[in-house]
Amino acid sequence: MRAEITHRYGDLLVHDGLRLAIRENEFLCICGPSGCGKTTLLDIFAGIVKPSAGEVLIDGEQADPKRHNISFVFQEASTLPWLDVRANIGTGLRIKKRPKAEIGRKVDDIIGVVGLRGFESYYPHQLSGGMKQRVSIARAFATDADLVLMDEPFVSLDQPTREKMQREVLSIWEHRRRTIVFVTHNLEEAVFLGDRVIMLSTKPARIVADIPVDLPRPRNPVSADFTALRARCANLLQEMHADDASQESASKHEA
Amino acid sequence: MSTASLAGRWAGGRQFRPVVLNVVSIVAFLVVWHFASALVNSPFFPPPYKIVQAFVNLAQHGDTMGNSLWAHCWASLYRVLVGFAAGVVLGVPLGLLMGLMPGFYAATRSIVEPFRFIPPIAWIPLAIIFFSGLPRFAFLIFIGSFFPVFTSTLVGVSRVEQIHRKVAVVYGASRFYVLTHIVLPTVLPDIMGGMRVALGAAWLTIVAAELSGGTSIGLGRMMVNYAELLQISEIVVGMVLIGALGFAMNEILLSIERRLFRWRWQVTL
Ligand SMILES: Nc1ncnc2c1ncn2[C@@H]1O[C@H](COP(=O)(O)OP(=O)(O)OP(=O)(O)O)[C@@H](O)[C@H]1O
Ligand SMILES: [Mg+2]
Repeated sequence: MRAEITHRYGDLLVHDGLRLAIRENEFLCICGPSGCGKTTLLDIFAGIVKPSAGEVLIDGEQADPKRHNISFVFQEASTLPWLDVRANIGTGLRIKKRPKAEIGRKVDDIIGVVGLRGFESYYPHQLSGGMKQRVSIARAFATDADLVLMDEPFVSLDQPTREKMQREVLSIWEHRRRTIVFVTHNLEEAVFLGDRVIMLSTKPARIVADIPVDLPRPRNPVSADFTALRARCANLLQEMHADDASQESASKHEA
Repeated sequence: MSTASLAGRWAGGRQFRPVVLNVVSIVAFLVVWHFASALVNSPFFPPPYKIVQAFVNLAQHGDTMGNSLWAHCWASLYRVLVGFAAGVVLGVPLGLLMGLMPGFYAATRSIVEPFRFIPPIAWIPLAIIFFSGLPRFAFLIFIGSFFPVFTSTLVGVSRVEQIHRKVAVVYGASRFYVLTHIVLPTVLPDIMGGMRVALGAAWLTIVAAELSGGTSIGLGRMMVNYAELLQISEIVVGMVLIGALGFAMNEILLSIERRLFRWRWQVTL
C-alpha cells in the first residue's frame, strides 16, 4: 500500500503531503502525539474519509472498502447496541454476504480467542468497556481482512488481558499474514508488535522517525535488544517534544 | 401511566404486584365515584352500576336506531386503523428521507413545519367538503397521526452515530444496507414512540370527526345520539370504550416495543 496524503478539516491542516509505503503483510505501528491525525490517517487508509488531496493505493487501486477486504478496530466504542455479542461480531461477515454456516463457525472461533465465551447473547449495555472493545476486535478479525486497521485497540484493557490480546493478534497474524496498521501511544507495545514503528510529529503530521524492528519473534520485552530499541524510540519522542517546546518558546519570543 | 411502571408490570416474576395495585386503584376509583354520585343524587351524575347497566343493555339490544354496540366500536376502530396505518406508512419514509437529506428538509421546512400546527380538527371543514364516508375519517386520522410519526422519525435520524455508520461502511456496506441496518434500528424506538403519540391523536380525531356528522355509526356518533336524548350513562359507555380500545392498542404497541428493543428495555427494567 502506498499513500500520499494531504488532508484538512476546514482550515485545519492535518496532513501535508504525508508519504507512506506499507509492505504487504507488514505489521506497522504508528505512534504520535494526541491530535496529530492518526485516526484520520486510518480513516483515509480505509477509504471511509477522502483526503483533500493525494491518494491511497492498495495493490495499485484506490482504497475502497467495497473492493478491498478491510477491517477496523475503532478507538471509540463501536459495538452496535441493538445487536448481541454474537451478531455484533458477525457484522462484517454478514455485510460481505458470507454463508450462514461460515459466519457461525468463524464467530464461534473468534469468541473463544477474545475470551467472550458465555457472553454470546449479551447486549453491549450488559458488557464492560473492555469487553465491548474485545467484541470490536473480534469483529475485525472475524472477516479475515487483508488490511486490519487498529486504533489504540487495547487501551481499555487491563495489563494481563492486554498482553493476552497482543499475543492473540500476533498469532492470528502469524497464522495467516495480512497487513496490520496499529496505532498506539505505548512504545513498548509498538516495539513488541511491529515490524516497523513510525513516529509522527504534531500537526501537520510528518514522519519524524521510521524505525525497523528487526528483533526475532517471539520477542522478549526484558531482553537487552528490546529495551535498547524501546529507549531509542523514547528518546526520539523526547527530542520531538523538546523541539516542539523550543519552537513554541521561540515563536513566543518573536511575538 | 408511565412507561416505567408498565415495564415493571410486564417484568416476569414481578408481574403480580402492579396488577394487584392497579385492581385496587380501579376499585377505589369506582367506590369514590359511587359515593360522589350518591351524594349529588342527580340523574346527570349516574353511579357506576348504571353505566354497567347501560353497557349490558347496549350490548344486548343495540342503540335506539338498531345499530349494535360492536358495530359502533368496529366502525371507529376500523377508521382509526386505516388512517393510522396511512400516517405511519407515509410518515416513516418521509421522516427518514428528510432526516437523511437535511438539505431537502431545510429547503422545505417553512412549508412542512406550519402544517404541524394545524390541528386535525381544523381540517374537518375541508374534509367534509372533499370526502365522505371512510375516506373522510381516514384522511382526518391520517392528518392527526402523520406528524407525530414523521417528526419523531426525523428527530431519530439525527441520533444515528457516525461511528456506527463507519462500522458498516468499512466492511463495504452499501447506502441501502446502512439505511436498513444502522439507521433503521437506531430510529425504530423513536418511530414506535411517535406511533404511540399518533395513536392518541388518532382517537382524539376520530371522535371529533364522528361528532361532526356524516355517519350514523361509530362511537363518537353514538355518543352524540345519546347526548340529544340526555342519556348520560350511554355517553359514558362510549367514553369508557374509547379509553379501553386506545389503552389496548397502546399495550399492543408497547409489547411489540418490548420484544423489539430487548437491548434497550433491559436497561429500564
Ligand atoms: N470530523 C472532523 N472534523 C473536524 N476536525 C476533525 C475531525 N476529525 C478530527 N479532526 C481534527 O483533526 C485532528 C486530528 O484528529 P485525529 O482524531 O486524527 O487525531 P489522533 O492522532 O487520532 O489523536 P488521538 O491520539 O488523541 O486519538 C484533530 O485536531 C481533530 O480536532
Ligand atoms: Mg485517534
